Amino acid sequence: MKKTAFYLLFVFGLIIATARTASAGAVSFGDLEMAGYLKNETSWKMAGGLREFMKVKNIFDLKMNYKFTEWLEFFTEVNYWYDHTFDIEGKYQDIVRSENNVKLKRPTKVNEWLRDCYFDVYTPRLDMRLGRQQVVWGATDGVRILDMVNPLDYREWTIKDYSELRIPLWMANIEGELMMNGHLQLLVIPDYEPNYYAPAGSPYALRTVVAGAEASANPFVTVTTIDERPGKKFENTKIGLRWRNIVESGVLSGLEYTLNYLHTYDFASSAYTRTTFGPGGVNIQLTRRAEQIEVIGGSFSKSITKGLVGDILKGWTIRGEIAYIQNGAMNYGTDKSIAGTVDVDQLLYALGFDKVFWTNWEFSTQFIQMRYDSQEVFDQDQYTLLFGPTRGPLDEVENLVTMRIATDFLYDRIKPEVLIIYGDDNDWRISPKVNFEYNDHWTFSTGVHVFEGHAQHLNGQFDGNDQVFFEAKYSW
Amino acid sequence: MKKLILFLLCMAFAAQAYAQDLNYYEVLKPQAGMSADEIMKIMYHNKYSLFARDYALPDSEVFYIDKSGFTRKKLAERYRIVMGGKDDVQYKDLVVVTYPTHSKGLAILTWTYEDPDRDQDVWLWIPSLKKVRKISASEDDDAFMGSDLTVEEVSTRRFKDETYTLLGEENFAGYQFEQTGEMKFQGKPCFKIEAIPKKPHWYYSKRVVWIDKETGGNIFEEYYDKIGKVFKTRFIQWEWYEKQGRQYATQTAIECKDLRTGHRTVIFNRDQHYDEGVDESKFTLRSLQRSKW
Repeated sequence: MKKTAFYLLFVFGLIIATARTASAGAVSFGDLEMAGYLKNETSWKMAGGLREFMKVKNIFDLKMNYKFTEWLEFFTEVNYWYDHTFDIEGKYQDIVRSENNVKLKRPTKVNEWLRDCYFDVYTPRLDMRLGRQQVVWGATDGVRILDMVNPLDYREWTIKDYSELRIPLWMANIEGELMMNGHLQLLVIPDYEPNYYAPAGSPYALRTVVAGAEASANPFVTVTTIDERPGKKFENTKIGLRWRNIVESGVLSGLEYTLNYLHTYDFASSAYTRTTFGPGGVNIQLTRRAEQIEVIGGSFSKSITKGLVGDILKGWTIRGEIAYIQNGAMNYGTDKSIAGTVDVDQLLYALGFDKVFWTNWEFSTQFIQMRYDSQEVFDQDQYTLLFGPTRGPLDEVENLVTMRIATDFLYDRIKPEVLIIYGDDNDWRISPKVNFEYNDHWTFSTGVHVFEGHAQHLNGQFDGNDQVFFEAKYSW
Repeated sequence: MKKLILFLLCMAFAAQAYAQDLNYYEVLKPQAGMSADEIMKIMYHNKYSLFARDYALPDSEVFYIDKSGFTRKKLAERYRIVMGGKDDVQYKDLVVVTYPTHSKGLAILTWTYEDPDRDQDVWLWIPSLKKVRKISASEDDDAFMGSDLTVEEVSTRRFKDETYTLLGEENFAGYQFEQTGEMKFQGKPCFKIEAIPKKPHWYYSKRVVWIDKETGGNIFEEYYDKIGKVFKTRFIQWEWYEKQGRQYATQTAIECKDLRTGHRTVIFNRDQHYDEGVDESKFTLRSLQRSKW
């Protein structure tokens, strides 16, 4: 029934799209503006000769904006999709038999297909955005340092744009102008959603999820899971504050900086285990707790618009971001085996450099460092902190480098790019792709994702998920 | 002490040298007997609308047409506020793409400085990132938004970037506007000026510019390559916009042809307004973030 409803929507979208083919702009009915797309995303696993689908997803997206007055607007985005992989590939069919996992195939609840849904109120010195939305902080790309306001959907790991991975939350987003380019933003977020992790057996199941499932499958082990989520009470409201300013004069003219504070809950729950032994075997009580954390940090961006001496450094953009996360928690133990949980403070920072060379070649590189500081004592001769996504050993200092190179041909119609992410444990991902704009409505993309490294590390855990992908999108 | 005074004097002289030579907010027209430099200064003054305090263009249509006739289109809104040199800012620009849907919502905020040696500061609202991103200024010879026009031709070329020679005065032969089939500006009295770029090994060796004596606008340009052959032409339709007794020279249509590839870019600017009291707060990051698409 729901598949039928989805395809009815798909056909409805096709009808609207066809009707708009010859017209300019989005569909407009007076003060109502609509735009959307129909998209197919397909990927094949490279191992085994491209015979296994990793994704066959059809997506219907519709955005609508209604302008009540010059100062009041309503915006919503619905995004409904169906992934046929779980019907086509026999190895995944058992996973989606469970009611909890049907959401791998298609959205099952309103908050899974309703993306944004908010009112915008504009006044000369104050903007308010009230409703379901994403708020993005930070000056880095593809890395979450200050970008911690919204949780993430990790069903496809992080290979998609973060705007598609972030889970919108209901919140009040109020931004006031204290100076011409100095704005203070207040976020009041009563809503809470944890990160979504794909279950064991699905294409992007995290190693930590797989390890948990393996433990549960042991006939002599009984695992009881308790999810401790913040209740819907006023005292559990998350608060965010951001001051953003652009320096308008002097040597630092054009420097944009922010100061950020976020009182929130960690969307990646910490795991607390309690093991007891009984006549039937081992009983493990696993409590997944969303820790209340404080995030303090800032960011900056500066383009070198005039060379320091001659043209030295002219044309470079330098970006930076730092976040100190207090009161978090992490597991310690040995590879895949949790011995305990300790309070951990984290210091994350990044520096990025961008420049355009040879007319239209964009180079962007980022250095990221993550420091983990345990606030409690544990036996460090025997154990290490464990990396959340993989439950592998974590160094006190981890380093990451990213590089993105992009260019364009044929009047911006063909846009190749490559993204490389490298971790200091010899763990990396390389994602080259080409976007082709066929006409005003049709765009196509094709590319590859390659993961290499040890299973204990960020991208190495998906070594074996190397894939080729193809996407076709019709926008109206 | 003497060295310090000398240094300060040099700085003051340099500041004066790159300060706006023509007055902001003044409507200027070329006069008979003016030199090539004087005529071109007026042309740049008009090109960047420095005669007005603000400028709104809610309807800009851009066509990309290849030699087979295959056409793509972009729609955008554009706003400008002329800062008059406040904090060294000459003007601030905001461009918001409204079509096609896959680019809809892309917004570009640009601060252009009085110092001609200083690049613009550019911020981008990227819908797929849902955030504001500071970006490096494009290379000046890069295509502007995938068109036949370069970034320099649209927004960064300044008076000091070329040397100018007055070739004479003539009535313009007319331009066959390919998009509509009309013959434009036939017989219009013009100054004819040769402009040679100061940058070595630049994408053009020289350009010949026809400046309309009436509006001071560059109505036609020929771009020459290293071997002296015309490789690109640009036609600009300049018209008068009237407001409360003041006349502003404004660009209402542009057709740029790349003679090597047969590709052309056509821009129509409709419903332009000057001095409407556009607020400076429109040119802030808060304004960029209002974009939803």
